[in-house]
Amino acid sequence: MSQTFEFKQSSHLHPALLDPAAKTLDADKLTGRWVNTNTETQGLAEFVIEQDGERFSVSGVGVGADGPIDWPMTSATPLANLEEEAGQRAVALAATFAFGFMRAETQIRVNKGVLVIVVFHTFLDDSRRSNYVNREFFYRQD
Amino acid sequence: MQFAQICDRVETDASAAGPINLSAFPGIWVNSNPDTNGIARMVMSESDGNLSLQVYAIGPDGLIDWGTADVSVFTSKPSSRVGAGFTCLYDFGFAQTRLQGMIAKGLLVLAQFHRFKDDSKRVDYFVREYFALAHGRY
Repeated sequence: MSQTFEFKQSSHLHPALLDPAAKTLDADKLTGRWVNTNTETQGLAEFVIEQDGERFSVSGVGVGADGPIDWPMTSATPLANLEEEAGQRAVALAATFAFGFMRAETQIRVNKGVLVIVVFHTFLDDSRRSNYVNREFFYRQD
Repeated sequence: MQFAQICDRVETDASAAGPINLSAFPGIWVNSNPDTNGIARMVMSESDGNLSLQVYAIGPDGLIDWGTADVSVFTSKPSSRVGAGFTCLYDFGFAQTRLQGMIAKGLLVLAQFHRFKDDSKRVDYFVREYFALAHGRY
């Protein structure tokens, strides 16, 4: 890649970044309905990833005290994932769920068939709850 | 109290509200991969209860200093006051990099979201790297 491109680290000059297909590469490894591997989770029970061309949408189901709680569908930003373990290259996703009282920034990627979701929760109300981060694992149901 | 999942739901004690314990963060974090073409090391510093981060990344001609950024701290659960993760944002003009880190057992797992704002037609990309704190104990 020409070094006339601005950069702040060498990976900004990775040749694969000029391939538009890198943003949707092996997206079928992510799309579908995923179920939490932890049957005792108190977080996300399910997660759904949908693709329409270059557009991705995600939604979830949280475990609630009185039943499931919808995490409404929101758009997800696809990112090329160039350096996953064992040379696997599949798209990763970033999405933010806005609940009003809380914002949940999610980091979504697949590793050897397991969906890994890391969620950074920021509380926007006056509940004095600490902002917290949680990581969960999911297997694909269909 | 609103919640989107059971683990959001805690009974907070107003008297327990206080500064987040940042002791897990300060120091020099070194990339575990000596062949990285991304971030070589990060220096995390605490001042007056606030955390800041300075990144040194690998460049073709040596390390590139990204400068200092303010950090948002996250705990492991809503009732905790011990820092376990962080996020921060670097805006370089031509690109923007969001960092999200989690610390467990002395290992910092750093996710990087790189988004290009110029007309280079580079695709946005994600990288995950591992860092260890230079503690000098053994």
